[in-house]
Amino acid sequence: MNEERAGRISSAMAIAALLGTAAMNGHHLAWWCLPLLVLASALHLRLVFRGHALPNRLARVGLAVLLTAGVLLSFRTLNGVAAGATLLAAMTAAKLFEARSIRDWYVICGATLFLLLAACLDRQQIWRLPLYAMCLWLSAAALRGLSGGAALPAATLLRESARQLLFALPLAVVLFLCFPRLPGAFWALPGDDAAITGLGDEMSPGSIARLTESDEPALRARFAAALPPVKERYWRGPVLRNFDGFTWRRQRPEAAATQALAYVGTAYRYTLTLEPNSHGTIVALEMARPADAPLALFTDDFQLVSRRPLTQIQTYQLSAYPQARAAAALTESARRLDLALPAERNPRARQLAQQLRVASIDDSAFIARVLEFLRRGGFEYTLTPQRLQRDSIDDLLFNTRQGFCGHYASAFVDLMRAGGVPARVVTGYQGGEWNPIGGYLTVRQSDAHAWAEVWLPGQGWLRADPTAVVAPERLSGELLQFGYGLGRRGAGGLGSGKWLTAVLQTWDALNAWWQDDVVGFNFSKQLKLADWLAFGDRDWQTLAVALGAGMTAWLLWVAWSLRRIASAARPDALARAWRRIDKHLARTAVPRAPNEGVIAFSERLALTHPAAAAAMTPLARRYAQLRFGPPGDPGALRDFVRAARQFCRRKS
Amino acid sequence: MPASPLDRLARRVERWARKRQGLDALPLVLRSRRLYILPTRAGLVFALLLFVMLVAGLNYTNSLALLLTFTLAGFVLVGMHECQRTLQGLELVQAQAADHDAGTVGTLELRLANAARSARRALSVSTAQQPATRFDIDAGAQLTVYVVCGSRHRGRHRLGRLELASTAPFGLFRCWTWLYLPIDVIVYPQPLGSRALPQASEGRASQQSATNAAGEDEWAGLRAYQLGDSPRSIAWKVWARGAPLMVGQYAGTGGSDHLLSFAGLESLDLEARLSQLSNWVNACARLDAACALRLPGVELPLGRGAEHRAALLRALALYGAAPP
Repeated sequence: MNEERAGRISSAMAIAALLGTAAMNGHHLAWWCLPLLVLASALHLRLVFRGHALPNRLARVGLAVLLTAGVLLSFRTLNGVAAGATLLAAMTAAKLFEARSIRDWYVICGATLFLLLAACLDRQQIWRLPLYAMCLWLSAAALRGLSGGAALPAATLLRESARQLLFALPLAVVLFLCFPRLPGAFWALPGDDAAITGLGDEMSPGSIARLTESDEPALRARFAAALPPVKERYWRGPVLRNFDGFTWRRQRPEAAATQALAYVGTAYRYTLTLEPNSHGTIVALEMARPADAPLALFTDDFQLVSRRPLTQIQTYQLSAYPQARAAAALTESARRLDLALPAERNPRARQLAQQLRVASIDDSAFIARVLEFLRRGGFEYTLTPQRLQRDSIDDLLFNTRQGFCGHYASAFVDLMRAGGVPARVVTGYQGGEWNPIGGYLTVRQSDAHAWAEVWLPGQGWLRADPTAVVAPERLSGELLQFGYGLGRRGAGGLGSGKWLTAVLQTWDALNAWWQDDVVGFNFSKQLKLADWLAFGDRDWQTLAVALGAGMTAWLLWVAWSLRRIASAARPDALARAWRRIDKHLARTAVPRAPNEGVIAFSERLALTHPAAAAAMTPLARRYAQLRFGPPGDPGALRDFVRAARQFCRRKS
Repeated sequence: MPASPLDRLARRVERWARKRQGLDALPLVLRSRRLYILPTRAGLVFALLLFVMLVAGLNYTNSLALLLTFTLAGFVLVGMHECQRTLQGLELVQAQAADHDAGTVGTLELRLANAARSARRALSVSTAQQPATRFDIDAGAQLTVYVVCGSRHRGRHRLGRLELASTAPFGLFRCWTWLYLPIDVIVYPQPLGSRALPQASEGRASQQSATNAAGEDEWAGLRAYQLGDSPRSIAWKVWARGAPLMVGQYAGTGGSDHLLSFAGLESLDLEARLSQLSNWVNACARLDAACALRLPGVELPLGRGAEHRAALLRALALYGAAPP
């Protein structure tokens, strides 16, 4: 029954939906996929609209084989969301070459919806929502064009599909909230190595400059009680311990912590919502407790490392102990790792460290002298420093004298190790912007920071932030309130008006709501909803009842609303006026037969009720004139309605 | 050939529906009680697609994918309601079928009215033998739909089950209703046979040949077209000028009287006899000659014109059949 051809309007709409959806997938499709789709669409429109024949079967099979080979060449696999989406898009492009019948267009619409699903699986930012909705709308309109009835204009298809989708929305919300979710994935596709901006596994001074350009949120923290003071807002990411004289690298965590921490002092309880990252570290406020994230690995450099790739937004309930201290002495292997320096690299820095070391009575004095050197040495904090030579520390300390956090942390740790103090670079974020609308702290990629940790016997690991001595204002609370990268917006951008801050914060709060409560609506949030619905008496039945009630109410609502659309039109004023006359005559004389015209009725009436007919006949003539004659002025209709009323008031 | 289980089921359902609904009386407004709805093949595939989307969304605990799936599910369900609304409230105002010759096609005329304020789309009507005729009805409009019906056998045929269906709004569902209309179609014997028209009865025939040697009829004028008139007699030229369908009439001055008798055709079997008689009746009508028909037990007097012709053909069609 679907062998007939699809209409041009619905075909054009399906093509628009397909191209839009493919564009939404643009970031993970193979580079040739979008141009191919555009080409195929253009060719299809040209061939079909001009009535030419489409390519024959052999050519189409050849094309399909070629495209599959292309996907394999691009991805080396057909598995995974990106490769799957590319294959689907390519095959749909091939389908366009033979699409004629309604069935072909059903296939294309189905593929479009699948591509939309792929886009939804991959990216869930709130700004994409209207674009996704647009694609859905076009697909729905294209589907409505495939009903098999007469071809409808595009405006009708769009209007009616919009109505249909709006009717569907309440059900979608009910199902979204109440449809049972799964606690975790039961089957996973290999993850795509998407380049997620953020901290990395390694740092060459200069790499962090890239991060400061991004306003993307890195994490959000909602504190149960008081916020930690600004100077304690260090969010610990990858710890970098291996240095080759230019680049710091991460020691791959292999075993669980051998060095325990003593959790003392004030604790801050908070909910961490972590954006996806590529390094796999759960960036938590220093210091985290392993007990709070039992599924993660707590390494001996105090990182929480997730055992699964952090490709989705994750939420953790954590506690932070800023005053936590190492409870045991440094192991020999750790000491060796945190003192290692490449021989024959950065000789001048080594010489400087030894000079300062000799002048100091102990490790603390040495640290103070090194910091003093950084403060007094004429160093400049900039986000756009000069490139450094191979002996990067020497070049920084004695030549360029400019850099940002990564440079100074790197130089400081190098000097410490050269002076015999175990030290390492910690990367992460510093600060955070308080969002008064959402009531949480937003930490952005532009808050990325690098600092140092030094080991002092008897005191354990201590944080030392050389950037704080080079550029104290970089870390001052006043600037941190704005939270954005220094130098770019610090002075002019945000100073221009508070409304901009308010707009940005509202947008961020909206994003946070979207991430936490919509994108992040999962099994545990659903449990909470069940709790709330059952007034704390948790029961899955509550959710089932809510689901059933919601669906029933929706079905009734839809049935009722559509009944109104399909029911008989309300008679117009003229018909209502005549109906009054009919009723009056049925009461006082005889009723009009259903199939009897008003003139015929007046003639019949004249035989039995001449008096009534005499009054009614002129009205019947006027009625016929108004109903079937050329459109007259509205006054005539008003007069008729008035006359009809008078007729009904007359005594019979 | 044994019937497949699906066929058997279809027949059972048909019997059930027939018993449940009874005969329909016109005018008929379609109510929900008699509307049936099922997904089409495309609808089933779409359901599978939705299921896969649901599994993917649940598996990846991806809220946006689930939201998309649920919105589409709602979209489909709204469409299901719309599909049913396309038929609900549709009114069948009138239905009539024309008599016709066996082996040719007759037409069933259905007059449908849509009182709703939205158009009813993607409608179709079909019979057991005939594929669907598609149509749309605008809001507040009436439409006459012609369905081909016919039989190869003469006689009185009760119109079979009619199926009125819709695949609006998106072809994923098909809603339909079965109509059992109390309409009989009379199928005339197929006009066949090579025997010459029996000679006109004596007296008048000779007169006639004298006065009108050419045997041509005189043009008498036009009358309005009636169902059953031969298309050949329609004055197409008049119609092409925008006038309604008219039929040319020929004055019977040249007509003669023929007695068409069953008894004179002994060498043929029954159906061939009736076909020959039918052929003669048509020939007389073409010539506008008066004719009478004599069948065993049935005698129809002399007459002419369309009504007379219909009466004769009807008698031939029903010959031997039990009275209704």
